[in-house]
Amino acid sequence: MTRSRHIWAFLFLLLPVTFYLVVVIYPLFSSFYFSFTDWNGFSQDYSFVGLDNYKKMQTDRLFRNAIENTVIWTVAAIVLPTAGGLVLALALHERGILSRLFKSLFYLPICLSLVVVGQVWIWIYQPDFGLINVVLRGVGLDNWTRAWLAKPDTALQAVIAAWTWQQTGLAMVIFLAGLTAVPRELTEASQIDGANYWQSVRHVIVPLLRPASIVVIALAVINSLKSFDILYMMTRGGPFHSSDNLAMMVYNESFQKYRMGYGSTVAVVLFMITLVVITIYFRQQRGLEQLYD
Amino acid sequence: MTNLASAATTEAQADRAKEQAKARRSMVILYVVLTLLLLIYSLPTIGVLLTSLKTNAEISREGVWNLPDSLSLDNYRAALQDGNAGPYLINSLKVTIPACVLSIVFGVLSGYTLAKLPFRGSDILFIFLVAGLFFPPQIVMIPLFRMFNSAGLYDTLWPMIIVHAGFGIPICTLVLKNFFATIPTAIREAAIIDGANEIQVLLRVMLPLSLPSLAVLATLQFTWIWNDFLWPVIFTRSDEVRTIMFGLASLRGQYSVAYGTQAAMAILASIPTLLIFIFFQKYFIRGLTLGSVKG
Amino acid sequence: MRRKTGLHLLLLALIVLGIGATSVGAQEKISIVHYFSDVLGKEAIGKIFTAFNETHPGYEAVDNSAGHEDFKTQILVTIAGDNPPDVFSYWAGARTQFVVDAGRLMSLADFWEENDLDAIIPEGVKAAAIYNDDIYLIPMNAHLTGFWYNTKVMADAGITKMPETWDEFKEACVTLKEAGVHPISLGSMNRWPAQYWFDYTVSYTAGAEYRQKLMAGEAKYTDPEVVTAMEAWKELTDLGCFAPDSNAYDWTEAADMVANGTAAMNLMGTWISGYLNGLGLEPGVDYDFFPFPVINPDVPRVTHGTVDGWVVPENAKNPEGAKALLLHFVSKESQELWAVGQGALAASTAVDPGIYSPVMAKAAEHLASVMFLGGYDLSTTPPMAEGGLDMFAMFMNDPSGYQEYLEIAQEVADDVFGG
Repeated sequence: MTRSRHIWAFLFLLLPVTFYLVVVIYPLFSSFYFSFTDWNGFSQDYSFVGLDNYKKMQTDRLFRNAIENTVIWTVAAIVLPTAGGLVLALALHERGILSRLFKSLFYLPICLSLVVVGQVWIWIYQPDFGLINVVLRGVGLDNWTRAWLAKPDTALQAVIAAWTWQQTGLAMVIFLAGLTAVPRELTEASQIDGANYWQSVRHVIVPLLRPASIVVIALAVINSLKSFDILYMMTRGGPFHSSDNLAMMVYNESFQKYRMGYGSTVAVVLFMITLVVITIYFRQQRGLEQLYD
Repeated sequence: MTNLASAATTEAQADRAKEQAKARRSMVILYVVLTLLLLIYSLPTIGVLLTSLKTNAEISREGVWNLPDSLSLDNYRAALQDGNAGPYLINSLKVTIPACVLSIVFGVLSGYTLAKLPFRGSDILFIFLVAGLFFPPQIVMIPLFRMFNSAGLYDTLWPMIIVHAGFGIPICTLVLKNFFATIPTAIREAAIIDGANEIQVLLRVMLPLSLPSLAVLATLQFTWIWNDFLWPVIFTRSDEVRTIMFGLASLRGQYSVAYGTQAAMAILASIPTLLIFIFFQKYFIRGLTLGSVKG
Repeated sequence: MRRKTGLHLLLLALIVLGIGATSVGAQEKISIVHYFSDVLGKEAIGKIFTAFNETHPGYEAVDNSAGHEDFKTQILVTIAGDNPPDVFSYWAGARTQFVVDAGRLMSLADFWEENDLDAIIPEGVKAAAIYNDDIYLIPMNAHLTGFWYNTKVMADAGITKMPETWDEFKEACVTLKEAGVHPISLGSMNRWPAQYWFDYTVSYTAGAEYRQKLMAGEAKYTDPEVVTAMEAWKELTDLGCFAPDSNAYDWTEAADMVANGTAAMNLMGTWISGYLNGLGLEPGVDYDFFPFPVINPDVPRVTHGTVDGWVVPENAKNPEGAKALLLHFVSKESQELWAVGQGALAASTAVDPGIYSPVMAKAAEHLASVMFLGGYDLSTTPPMAEGGLDMFAMFMNDPSGYQEYLEIAQEVADDVFGG
């Protein structure tokens, strides 16, 4: 019995795994390989430098800066879009026909490409005509206005805000899908037993949303760790690297400074960090999945 | 006796009426709050829409956030004619749909297998497959380019389709494995007892159950693949195979920016992803009312 | 026996068909990639390609473009992947040097000689074509930098003669401030516009030769000469000459400030004239040009700028077609069309000087009288350029920390040049 199951498992997995190996894993190893060289991405020859790139990374001011920013972004990613998405999903779940319109409109930002999102938020943060400063001036808070994207202490947060704006819709959609698996009888039963709405949320709905929240948080974390497009559009990691994250640093090193070898090294580190974070997270949640069998 | 009984019913009716009134009131409050929230939330999107309807001259005069003096569709015309948006949109479709389908098929195969046909080491395989999400694509640009170039596929649509299909495997596997894990083994065993082989179990029993998840994945994948502009930059050069996002990004020249046209092209580029969402949203709600995913 | 003859005939037929297919009606494609992807640039270069295709029926020039940043990524990937275009646009100077040193470009010295380009390309611009004593780039246009000012603002503030010395310049700034306008606008969001301030303060205090050493890593950013230059720049920020928050604006927004009169002047390249014309300003009437003022009268006068040119990859598939196209690029008609469309100075001297507006003519005249040097990020190797550009942005963010920024820049230099 198990034997035939294993054969089927192998057959089903054959196509996806092979495809994956060729398209994703092989190029990845290629890059790992380059992290041990000093290739500039361009010329025909390069030489092996062993662990030199890794050593250089330890004292690199820019690397430390990128890691700090990446951590900040990740924490924001775990908290902000998740909470926002959950609230929206609860508010809009099974609320009638009108809710469908609202769901679509809250989801809309995801449909916009990052080229657009980046540009529009630049217009929002612009110091003279940007929406935020215009509103602040309008209500008399002139001294709160600033050049959001140009100042090192606000640039990163500004980009994270734009990113969160888009990511929340995604979290909402996933939570909505998850809520379809929560039987209404359970919430109704708990309310008959005397629980108010919020208690039923906390004790009935949220635990049943665990699979959905795994996906939401995992996606948010991974997207934040990899987030490059929006940073590229809005600040390029500026002003002078104050909004750099690891993904941006990979790009800068490889394509602006022509140090593909070193860029690959940073990429390897980014990969390892993400791997560790996700593995810890999955280990924690694994117990839950066994409950379902 | 009857008086007491009817008094009790009227009281119950009154109570229920009060309950209903309260529920309606809280619904109204909810929607008011939601509407306010939605307005603020949508300001950026409204900004893009307004900009696409203003003339470029007006935008450089008054900035982006003023209400337009006059509405014009000039920018859309410019986007379609000079900006060549039409063919770009078609190219994007030719890339996105196959890549979407492929990655979901792969996700079903691997997600189902890892959830319901586990073997020693399937956990590790799972992490291995999901690992593809963990790194920024920039680092594999050059190896992938060389690979496709030696296969003679540079400057065609194929590399984008293949790469997106491959890089879609992690997320599809992740979501579908999580989903299939919530389906009780009893269902599978029942089907097997009824004489189904593995393929029939997958296609006739499991797949229909997973339609809501597939709908969500299709939406997400379509959006991500459609919105991507990194791979088109790497794998294409000629106009004939350019996708809409590459076309959009190219509008930002160093020496002059036509915000209105850019915004119009951005709106055009966003319509397909929104349509997909609206379409699939109805689908998985319908799937829900068929009672397919309860318990 | 018969079968063999049959086979031979078949083979022959195939060969003939094969030859026929490649020669009959097939045009040789020449693939080009360039970074003139904005509306004006695309239009101008489109016309040049159309003219080429019409006059060269055997060739078909295939035009592809990408924005500057995407272009850099794309070209690197295609070259490293061995599938480069036949011709691509590139910035003369350190960037081209980088690619030459990587062994990726084809020498064009023979092409230059055969077509006697010495006759139409002046010495100063030809310098942009030479790398490692060989020619690798064909110049398309030159841009120089200087001050572009709003004539009305200057007149209203009572400034009739444009400053020629540093003291005069500082006086003018004070006068403008009192008249209620920002003397200088700078849009350093993308960092590079600020580089010219560094370029001129170094060249005009320590001299172009010293700057050359600094660019090559033979001098340090912490040297007293560089400190002096930064302090000169700081004199202006101390006087409040710059419109606030330079890092928040890109160069077009800073240009807008000059156009609408909120600021008086902007230090920028000649391409700004194309932009200002597009806004509806009239050259010479609404805006004009004057060169960077002299700080130390004993050092040679220079102008910093950019030369855009064309290069051919060493493994290009169609080098003959590429060269035909290059020849077309330096023709009188193409050069004239391009210069006007881009607000640039043509590389070729054979153009009719009448195509230039009075302001551009002034710039052209200036170019002829001074040494032409690349701007900072085209004069030093790309990894160092990144560090320097960061330094300029840091300075405009908060000028008081300039000593620290110089030290950071020197750290980068040590890493790049192996100090």
